[in-house]
Amino acid sequence: MNNNFIIETKSLTKEYKRDEFRIMALHQASIQIEKGEFLALMGPSGSGKSTLLHLIAAIDRPSSGEVTVLGQNLQALSDKEIARWRNEHVGFVFQTFNLIPVLTARENVELPLLLTHLSKKERIDHAETALKLVGLGDRMGHYPRQLSGGQEQRVAIARAIVTDPALILADEPTGDLDSQSANEVLTILSKLNKEQNKTVVMVTHDPHAAKFASKIRHLEKGELLPKGVLPQV
Amino acid sequence: MRKYIPFAFKNSLRNKRRTILTIASISVSLFLLGVLIAVYHAFYFRAAPPEQALRLVMRNRVSLTFSIPEYYEPKIRQIPGVKEVVSRSWFGGIYIDNRPEYFFPRFGTDPERIFKVYPEMTIDPEQLKAFQSERTAAAIGKTLAEKQNLRLGQKITLKGDIYPVDLELTIRAIFEGTADSSDNVMYFHRKYVEEGLVNARKGLVGTFAILAESAEAVPRIAREADEMFRNSDRQTKTDSERAFQLSFVSMLGNVKVFLLSICGAVVFTILLVSANTMAMSVRERIKEIGVLRTLGFTTDKVLAMIIAEAVIIAMLGGLLGCLMAFAVVQVLGSSLQVMFGTLRMPPVVLLISLGVAFAIGLLSSVIPAYNASRVPITDALRHLG
Ligand SMILES: Nc1ncnc2c1ncn2[C@@H]1O[C@H](COP(=O)(O)OP(=O)(O)OP(=O)(O)O)[C@@H](O)[C@H]1O
Ligand SMILES: [Mg+2]
Repeated sequence: MNNNFIIETKSLTKEYKRDEFRIMALHQASIQIEKGEFLALMGPSGSGKSTLLHLIAAIDRPSSGEVTVLGQNLQALSDKEIARWRNEHVGFVFQTFNLIPVLTARENVELPLLLTHLSKKERIDHAETALKLVGLGDRMGHYPRQLSGGQEQRVAIARAIVTDPALILADEPTGDLDSQSANEVLTILSKLNKEQNKTVVMVTHDPHAAKFASKIRHLEKGELLPKGVLPQV
Repeated sequence: MRKYIPFAFKNSLRNKRRTILTIASISVSLFLLGVLIAVYHAFYFRAAPPEQALRLVMRNRVSLTFSIPEYYEPKIRQIPGVKEVVSRSWFGGIYIDNRPEYFFPRFGTDPERIFKVYPEMTIDPEQLKAFQSERTAAAIGKTLAEKQNLRLGQKITLKGDIYPVDLELTIRAIFEGTADSSDNVMYFHRKYVEEGLVNARKGLVGTFAILAESAEAVPRIAREADEMFRNSDRQTKTDSERAFQLSFVSMLGNVKVFLLSICGAVVFTILLVSANTMAMSVRERIKEIGVLRTLGFTTDKVLAMIIAEAVIIAMLGGLLGCLMAFAVVQVLGSSLQVMFGTLRMPPVVLLISLGVAFAIGLLSSVIPAYNASRVPITDALRHLG
């Protein structure tokens, strides 16, 4: 295996069974993503983008095929090990921010660190550093409802990077944002990619957002299209 | 786990109105439960004075309301291990009027022996002599004296009801018991009561209190005493004083079962209410649980946090309920005479109540928490609301 590939999937297939319906969310997807890449995954709604991202994050298990991330074959891990692995190596950013409303920005960012052995002081230090990194040093004590959408998403990014993971996975991080906030968020992601050498995989609908990425791959009806191929319109 | 507690606590404040209502309903039920357990405790577990372990009470086998002959006394005295015997006859009667504040236990007894059988009652020797030597003298406990505002030398009248005689008594002695309110009682000469009775009603007493030489002798004395009168027309039932008091309680019906079933109903109801609330509050949070698990929280951690939250809420309610019960018992305790003493809130009652609160938190949340923590992450993240 090429050590430059931080993510490698082989014939990854995910089929959802709902009652008597079977939905092929992802079919035989093989992709290789290099360390330090900023990849945009594009495709129409229902094409399997989130599914692929979830399989890479080990949030979900494939029906068949293989995923290897950071040299770790994810199928080999138990649920408990996967939780721990994800905490250490993956930062996940959602379209809807998904901050915990009863926690302040600082506490939200601290959350993943509760699972580490860091002391309270270290956790707060790390959380504050991450918040400063996304330009929210002055909003640490604010609750999510006191923040704008763009700020909320930046808190979510801080939460994703606070454990210093090698991989940032973002599922339409700008989908709920106005264009200016979207630009701020995309700038942060690309900064993280360039300055801290984080590998970023971002699902997006938005061709403008995709411009921030170094590579783009397209999905259609659960199939990953070959490099450079665009879906027929 | 400690570092997750603040988070669990903040979660519990998420829906403040619901949390407050839950805490309120738990605290009210635990208040009720606390008082009930205190009553139960007062009935069945109150620490008895050591003399009580040495005392037996003999009554008519049929019921406490039937009497037994006076002439049993010398026979009881002959049973080995018996140190002293005294009769006590419930006089009933009316002091001032029928209102409960004027009710207190009054007994006709043998003034020469009563304080020998109840040595834990301390009485001034001069006063004892005065009580013994005057036909119409009465001796009262300190609690009674304080409650009814009675003084030495004061004259009081008891209008008879069980006995068709009115007693004109003079208070000649005030004695003091060791246990709470054990001296809320009045004694006078049984002979004085008998003076006004027709012959057919003379020579009968209510109960005999028997003082044994050792606690070990108590069960044997009980057996032998009842055996002795088995073939007479008034058979007896002799129990340790403790058992006797409880049998007295059981005249009110099966108090034990009654109390326990109310307690059970209270706990069960509040369990259902909290379980419903917890299920609701967890359902609203399925998506967040998905987020937590995406951040790396395991199902067990999520489970533990939800349970911790429910336990925190239940314990807050429990604590509040206990405080209320404690306060109420403190304030009303001395006026709430539970047969044999003041109602109080011993630490063990608080402990039981808090234990119940803990169990309510745990049991009400474990099923919703278990289910929620095991929703697949992708489903949880797609969950609306
Ligand atoms: N948990 C699930 N249970 C059942 N079906 C699912 C589940 N997740 C996804 N699917 C189905 O799988 C297919 C691919 O879904 P996926 O979420 O990967 O699409 P997507 O490309 O992310 O779409 P969108 O742009 O709308 O987010 C869809 O048809 C979807 O309905
Ligand atoms: Mg999607």
